[in-house]
Amino acid sequence: MNDVTELAMLQNYLLIGALLFAIGMLGFIVRRNMIVVFLCAEMMLQGVALSLVGWSRYFDDWGGQMLVLFIITVAACEAAIALALILMLARQTGNLDLADWQDLREEGSPPYVDHLIPEQREPPAVWPRLTPAGKVPEVDEEALLHRDRV
Amino acid sequence: MPESLLLQIPRLLGAADSAGTPFRVDARLLGWALLTGVLALIMLLPASSRGWRASGCVIGLLSLGFLLSGVLAPIVPMSEQIVFWIVAAVTIIAAVAAIATPRPVYTALWFALSLLGTAALMFMQGAQFLGVATVVVYAGAIVVMFLFVVMLAQPEGNDAYDRITWGWYTKPVSAILGAVLVSLLAFTLGAMNQTTFQRPSAGATDVLHPAHMARFGGELFGKHLLSIELAGTLLLVALVAAIAIMIHGRDPVIAPLEGPDNE
Repeated sequence: MNDVTELAMLQNYLLIGALLFAIGMLGFIVRRNMIVVFLCAEMMLQGVALSLVGWSRYFDDWGGQMLVLFIITVAACEAAIALALILMLARQTGNLDLADWQDLREEGSPPYVDHLIPEQREPPAVWPRLTPAGKVPEVDEEALLHRDRV
Repeated sequence: MPESLLLQIPRLLGAADSAGTPFRVDARLLGWALLTGVLALIMLLPASSRGWRASGCVIGLLSLGFLLSGVLAPIVPMSEQIVFWIVAAVTIIAAVAAIATPRPVYTALWFALSLLGTAALMFMQGAQFLGVATVVVYAGAIVVMFLFVVMLAQPEGNDAYDRITWGWYTKPVSAILGAVLVSLLAFTLGAMNQTTFQRPSAGATDVLHPAHMARFGGELFGKHLLSIELAGTLLLVALVAAIAIMIHGRDPVIAPLEGPDNE
């Protein structure tokens, strides 16, 4: 490919990477579920990885891909420790809400209080049930009473 | 290469004399894309009703259309252009859906789809090993681990804290913040041209070499041997730390530190 196309690819990859990073950052700030917050952090890492792969192709240099490999390694470590921590925190409070841990905030800052708890908007899910197949076996009541329990 | 890159950054930021630029990021279309994108994100994020969500989907698709048609630079072979459009659209839509759905299980599944799109983008850039590693390590291991934790900690669908955010102003402020971030980067990109980022040479394509794994492994275990040892040590430390957290976090209340002479 010629240089103009390479530059176009680089621009596109940097833009897509920036969009992934921004979307992950938005989710990290907005969401309150601890698990979702950590998934958003992983999404930000993915945006950076895309940019690095784009640079690596453009400059024909393996350094970007090496860095992405180490990003994946660090992300795996981070996920292991974060999930262990989340499990412990969830066991102490009973749910995954980050607002339950606002005792850790800066001294003197006002507590965060929810003013509006939205009700469940969607009706509870109705799961399909399996219809029984075949015929019901006949049970001899007398035999059940005298049956040896082996 | 990194030294020259660092030297070029100030020239890039103040690049008014970018003559010979093959193309620029279209500022008007980018503005429209970011504006509609911010609106769509505010409508789509949790604590909005079904009607808001539907209109947010429509506006989000409009934003994606602006982005794909006008903002992203055209790639010369049309087939590659079409593949890139599809993969980029899947990646971005899945990422937005991951942060918009109130159920954490669906968040993990949408994130896995976004990872598949990212892996496809990496394949398109010749990073084959990293694409496979992304699918195997991220979508195969990390997301499944997240799903296990969701199953252990929150077995029912969604909870009250999944349907609300931090107050009313968090959504618009952070969406505008993200849009400002993207637009700053895009305007920096707009000043890019071939003279500011000189490629090494046209002929030598080492990254696109057919023997990908041999070159990759040679680079990894040659130039980055110490780094790979450090990464292995880091994995071991993380394993020990996770087990330690699981063992010591079992007490309901963290016990105060007691020395041997406090008895």
